[in-house]
Amino acid sequence: MTAKSKHAQGGSDRAYVGQGVRTLGGDALVAGVAKYTSDFQFPGQLHAHFVRSPHAAARIKRVDLSGALKVAGVVLAMEGKEAAEHLDPIPHYIDAAVFGGKTVHVRCLALDQVWQFGQPVAVVVAEDKKTARYAASRVQVEYEPTPAVLEAEDAVKPGAPVVVPGWADNSIMALPFVNGDVVKAFERAHRVVKTTVRIHRFSTQPIETRTYNAVWDHETHGITFYATAQNPHPLRHVLSTALRMPENLIRIVAPAIGGAFGMKMHGHPEEALVCLLTKRTGQPVKWVEDREECLLIGAREQLHEVELAVQKDGEILGLRDRALANTGAPSACPGWGMAFLTGLTFPGPYKVTDVDVLMNIVTTNKPSWNASRGYGKEATALALELAIDNTARAIGVDPIEMRLRNFIAKDAFPYNSPTGLIYDSGDYAGAVKKTLEALGYDNWKKKQQQARAEGKLLGIGLAYELTPEGGAIPGTMVAGYDSSTVRVGPDGSVMLLTGVTTPGTGNPTGMAQIVADELGVELEGIRVVQGDTTTCPYGFGNYSGRSTIVGGGAAAMAAREVREKILTIGAALLEVDFATVSLLRGVLRSSAKPDKTLSLKEVAYAAYTRAYDVGLAITPPLEATCTFRPGLIRHTPDEKGRINPYPSYSNAAYAVVCEVDRETGQVKLLQFAAAHDCGKVINPVLVEGQACGAIAFGIGGMLNEEIRFDAQGRQLTNTFVNYVMPRAHDVPAINMVHHDSPNPVTYQGLKGAGEAGVGGSAAAVVNAVNDALAPLNVSITDLPLTAPRVWQAIQSAAQPARKREVA
Amino acid sequence: MTTNMEEMLEDSVLLQCRVNNKPCELEIAPGTTLLELLREEMRLTGTHMGCMTGHCGACTVLIDGQVAKSCITLAATVQRKTITTLEGLKDAEGKLTPIQQAFWDEAGLQCAFCAPGMVLTATELLKSNAEPTDDEIRTAMAGNLCRCTGYQSIVRAVRAAARVMKQLK
Amino acid sequence: MSLHPQYARPRSAAQAVEVLGNLGAGAVVIAGGQELMPHVNYGRLMPTVYVDIAALPELAGITEKDGEVAIGALTVHRTLQRDAIVQRALPLLAHAAAQVGGGWQVHNRGTVGGNLVAMHPLYDIAPVLLALQADVEIQAPEGVRRAALGKILAETSHGLGTSSLLTRILLKPMQPDAGWAYEKLKITAGSYGSANAAAVVSLTGNKLSTLRVVIGAVSEQPLDASEALHGLLGKPWDAVAGARVESLCSASPKTLLDDQQGDATWRRAMAGVVARRAVQAAVANAQRTNK
Repeated sequence: MTAKSKHAQGGSDRAYVGQGVRTLGGDALVAGVAKYTSDFQFPGQLHAHFVRSPHAAARIKRVDLSGALKVAGVVLAMEGKEAAEHLDPIPHYIDAAVFGGKTVHVRCLALDQVWQFGQPVAVVVAEDKKTARYAASRVQVEYEPTPAVLEAEDAVKPGAPVVVPGWADNSIMALPFVNGDVVKAFERAHRVVKTTVRIHRFSTQPIETRTYNAVWDHETHGITFYATAQNPHPLRHVLSTALRMPENLIRIVAPAIGGAFGMKMHGHPEEALVCLLTKRTGQPVKWVEDREECLLIGAREQLHEVELAVQKDGEILGLRDRALANTGAPSACPGWGMAFLTGLTFPGPYKVTDVDVLMNIVTTNKPSWNASRGYGKEATALALELAIDNTARAIGVDPIEMRLRNFIAKDAFPYNSPTGLIYDSGDYAGAVKKTLEALGYDNWKKKQQQARAEGKLLGIGLAYELTPEGGAIPGTMVAGYDSSTVRVGPDGSVMLLTGVTTPGTGNPTGMAQIVADELGVELEGIRVVQGDTTTCPYGFGNYSGRSTIVGGGAAAMAAREVREKILTIGAALLEVDFATVSLLRGVLRSSAKPDKTLSLKEVAYAAYTRAYDVGLAITPPLEATCTFRPGLIRHTPDEKGRINPYPSYSNAAYAVVCEVDRETGQVKLLQFAAAHDCGKVINPVLVEGQACGAIAFGIGGMLNEEIRFDAQGRQLTNTFVNYVMPRAHDVPAINMVHHDSPNPVTYQGLKGAGEAGVGGSAAAVVNAVNDALAPLNVSITDLPLTAPRVWQAIQSAAQPARKREVA
Repeated sequence: MTTNMEEMLEDSVLLQCRVNNKPCELEIAPGTTLLELLREEMRLTGTHMGCMTGHCGACTVLIDGQVAKSCITLAATVQRKTITTLEGLKDAEGKLTPIQQAFWDEAGLQCAFCAPGMVLTATELLKSNAEPTDDEIRTAMAGNLCRCTGYQSIVRAVRAAARVMKQLK
Repeated sequence: MSLHPQYARPRSAAQAVEVLGNLGAGAVVIAGGQELMPHVNYGRLMPTVYVDIAALPELAGITEKDGEVAIGALTVHRTLQRDAIVQRALPLLAHAAAQVGGGWQVHNRGTVGGNLVAMHPLYDIAPVLLALQADVEIQAPEGVRRAALGKILAETSHGLGTSSLLTRILLKPMQPDAGWAYEKLKITAGSYGSANAAAVVSLTGNKLSTLRVVIGAVSEQPLDASEALHGLLGKPWDAVAGARVESLCSASPKTLLDDQQGDATWRRAMAGVVARRAVQAAVANAQRTNK
């Protein structure tokens, strides 16, 4: 059943949490008056345009800015040497060196060499955008191209060009995730089935590209940085380090954002550079990323060679995976860390304990990764789920049965995974059953039989995704805790200021629902403030589905403290026992004096103005700042040196029906169903919306989105002509149901809902296509499943019947 | 015929049109796109830039009641036309239209960066088709990209808007 | 190339061509802008002068006279979809205009002339007009000329958009008993076309008496496969005929596109598939019409 939105039930006693209330501030969004970063413009506004490398690998012999400086309206031009005088290298979001891997300084503008196509080499600032762009085209850079390496498989070969000067090879780190005795498990098994899953490079591409507007403050010698930033406070730290300025002179303002999906986590070269430009010019400098630049940022390209050692009935005795992640050129962004998570998330929802995963995280001369929704866990889902289906087919077991046989049982939680994670709760088998019901599985099975009799290719695919959410990586600003302030003014109006931010999915509304319930006030009047490092409590922004977990958790705690203050004053005003007072929808009552009520406004005013009589029992003003630090995260390594960086484990089952056109290879999705567990659901409409969005990502990634390069490493995919994302007709009706098991330590048991969905839905699509192709004895695990690729597989099946796996 | 080229070539264009119900008379540079005119000259920032190649629809406006992508419309070519942006949909008292209201009530959008395309296309659709099927809604939205919602909530919002508008009749 | 382009608004097609001739390279024609502006927005094109042709009377309107339909180049796709003359006399074109990509925004502002002059391999209008054996009327520096569309597409010297102007598209109304179809194959709903085919047929009894098939989006230029299919005339339409259409059309492209819309091998096979499907649908369409 899909959730229905409705207005909050004003005036009733019903809790807001759990209701699909409409978004706070949603009227501004539909009226076009919300302000996104690019909407800001300041007196004296200047505009920047970058000169970018046309080579994947080259030495920079000379940068000649003179042509640009001659153009009327140009205020400044800068290249790498000058930038390096004023800017320190960009601090890494996650420094591989902290984990025993290789590291390298990353600068805003390339210094002596470039290591990726599109790398910024110089920048021009002018009075208007078009002049800046034209002048940038007048900058002359002399390059000496050097051999580039683009594929991870090539990058790990001996003698491959080394991307980073000074590194012995191209491996950032090769991470083992080993538990038990895989060799014995493989020996015991009835069969070992190998599946090679080749995940391609694709990208999240929010509709709003990155935008930065840095404003120099002549009074304080500080900078206000308006930015599409998911993580304002950590960004401030990065800028302060790079700019050699104290943090207290830098203010980050993150306005309404047009989608983020990890791409707007910091470490990008343009961030500190635009700040430097305002410092140098003394005027506001704005940079708006164009779509071609945005398409440079990609992720997820991984190659997995998965082996499952199984018994006749499909029980998995052991799992081995040799994986290569092509993370592109080095970057200060947290993209490369996704590959770490991929390894860590094995073996997902399955109870096999003998595992041997090796994740080799590799640099190449492709453009750098940044975080992408799923953060590596979608790759684990793809590798695992495709391997399970392939293995099931190989041994003649139903893939659904095989999953049910291998799932961790619902009474096994908290569950210690072979890689050291502690899963909080879950009922994976239950979710699968619900999904199949929501899909109408039995009906579709019948239709499939009919279709097959007619020679049609109808497929049903299932996949499961385990998505650790709310992550905290030690020694980094990927922090598992956050803070919120609840403030009630003298007039009784309520403000929530929080260190978490929103990518546009509505968590401010969810958190306001929590505060409204905990405080005892009407929802609609609550004002949520986020994204401003000067006014908001220190926090870490949004990623990993954390905002409602930690921001909401902290807001609940703060609201309770303020509520207690309010009730204390109210009791004093009414001259009754504290135990008899309650506050609901802004009205304070006492069971001891049923005829008397006080408005929150009256109580609040008293709190502020009567600090020495009725207010003596509390500490004014009426506000509290609290921090929520979920207990399940464990950063102290266990006896095997492992940590549990996640407090909660959202999970979901996805099922999809597809039809493959035999003649063309086109894949048409007929229906989608999903049952997901995100713990307590604060706002079902918002959660469902996010889940549908994630499914669209999975569909797009599997059926058409692909970033391509030519042999020299120039990126060919540069507009929406060749990067094709799903449109309304590409996403079938989705039947979404809930199957929630609460997390034991978070607010009302919520688990986070932001990230789950990409990998599971992607894997379900692939499994459905391969199910459709099953009568032809072919399967495809080389992604994406574009029509030409599917067609090729069908053609190869016309060869004498023998199980074929198409690369 | 010999055209006087000096008279033929203009360094600026006097654009006379209507924007959000107000007459607009501006001397503009010929290379100005309608998107630039709206966002930069008139500071109407409700219309957004997403791709600059006419694919995403975030720059959508209504020109004489029909959706158009303002990033690929040269402002000089809307002489004497009526332009309506997302901000201009509201009625005289500043009330949201039933379509805008439905998008809000139904959580049709998330980040809402795609709102100009979605809401204005829905506006054109429901004028000519009061009870569109889901298929017709999805077809109408073919020019608009959304990355947040997976389109399901958008279709739901348009259906709800159609219901409300039917009741209002 | 200019940071400060100028603007010109000629009053007649002849004047427009004269102005273009005077301005030379750097001047661009602007109507709907759907083709031009993406390049301008990225600075790949920096016009010196925008020559606005939106008011030219010779390019406006749709008329039917003396057994010929004339469609002004400024006609937008939306009008082609809805116009009474086009719906009656050229239903294939009305249908194809609804398959043009880019959504309603492009349908509202994109002109048929702009679409045609772009000569983009993946577009829909050229294959359809070729199937309908359209002529085009061009205002050239030396005066008005009329030529078969196929001839113009094969020329490199037509100067359309730079020194000459497409004014009208001229077509004979389709036969009332004709069957027609337009097959557009896309990898996903949001994709550009990977292979398309326009087919117009007429039947005598159950035998094909005329057959026009044009295949687009698989090569740089649309392919008129009608000649190659000549051998099917006078024969019944059945599975064997369908297989012949498929293999002949698959074999006909000399060079194939190989890009993110699909590799060459697949494109070659799809040329055959869309052609066969289009003819199949056109035949079914004719049989329905003539019941």
